[in-house]
Amino acid sequence: MAEIDELKNFICRKFSENVGLEPEELFGRDLSLAEVITRSERLKNSVDLMEVFAKCSNTLRKQYGIRVRLPALSLDTPISRVVELFVQECQHGRAA
Amino acid sequence: MGTAFLHQVSNVGAHERRLFELSGLSEGRSGSSRRPVVIAELYRAFREEGRTLVEILWEQHRFHEARRWNAVELVESVRPEHLTELDRLVVWSAGQAEMTAKPSADRMTRLADAECRRWQGKDDALASVIQALGSWSRYWNEEESHHEMGFTQLSLQLGFPPPSDATVIDYRKIFPDDDLLRTVAMLSFSEGIAAVNYGQYARHVREPALKALLKNVGADEVQHMQYFISFSKALVDSGAYPAKEAFAVAHLFLREGGELYGSAREHVESRNTHTNWWDHLGDGAGEAAVTPEALERKRSLILHALKRITGISCATPQEVEDLWMDLVGE
Repeated sequence: MAEIDELKNFICRKFSENVGLEPEELFGRDLSLAEVITRSERLKNSVDLMEVFAKCSNTLRKQYGIRVRLPALSLDTPISRVVELFVQECQHGRAA
Repeated sequence: MGTAFLHQVSNVGAHERRLFELSGLSEGRSGSSRRPVVIAELYRAFREEGRTLVEILWEQHRFHEARRWNAVELVESVRPEHLTELDRLVVWSAGQAEMTAKPSADRMTRLADAECRRWQGKDDALASVIQALGSWSRYWNEEESHHEMGFTQLSLQLGFPPPSDATVIDYRKIFPDDDLLRTVAMLSFSEGIAAVNYGQYARHVREPALKALLKNVGADEVQHMQYFISFSKALVDSGAYPAKEAFAVAHLFLREGGELYGSAREHVESRNTHTNWWDHLGDGAGEAAVTPEALERKRSLILHALKRITGISCATPQEVEDLWMDLVGE
């Protein structure tokens, strides 16, 4: 399995790309999911956000062969917590 | 109607044909004596059979008029002294929930009008499908009014305080716009969930008039679900709205901790944009809505609706998630 830091960086980069926000804004301010939806021009609501998570999970599967189950999170969850959950899932080493 | 409704929501497999496999308009154009139906193949009706909006709207009207019932008469015939404490809570909770039907219908009407005009000249059959949806929403809105008025007035008769004007106005907040297929698919699922809830309540109520009221409301929710499935399927059939959007909404409902669990969820989102009825079921009603039996029926209805809409069959929420993720891509 890839190193944790590498995975974490990969996940952060994919989140940023998919929501269309710079990493400094997304992670520097540790935006809540509600704030991510508000600030991103690509996202209208939580279904769009769910799709972002799905795309990130699909990329992880393709890149690392790891299948991350999608979390159901409240909109006040900070984005750092989502990254943590993704990393934890990766650590469980679920094969795709 | 009521007995048929109970059978429908309690045994989807055996009565699947009755619920979903409606015949459409293939029997002919003129016969007003023919039993009115929810048109199962709407995009084909416009695109291949050359049906017109006047024909389709008349079918909608015939269906609506054939199954109307009188909320005032039913409410006046309820005998409050025969209701249990749980019956009373269910009536109050249903009245609260139904107050949010109007803003949901208003949103859909507005969205349908905008989408209809967007497709005119590009796909006229699709524009007609969406106009049929917007036009039908007047019947939907009117029927939901029967529900709201019936349960709210009965609540007052039972001694509950009337909702304040501020509360009514707050519950009338128009829902935010979203993709049309997502919106209509969500409505098909939520109508199915409401139908199961009313079926659950109706089974336990002994007072005949309240039982009849619940059965009538439940039967309305079943036919709303049928209409929303028909409209959703037509959007997918047109090729203009990708099936992944219906899958996204199904996943939103079916996933662990998803919308299916309503007010029983560990965390119910606090929204300042609008009020979701399933977030606000009162104690007794909220518990009845998530019994294992009720949840299983709701899952079955959502999975079947998803199949009707997209043509893709999934047996479990996990399969829905897997297929949705495949459809989303990277």
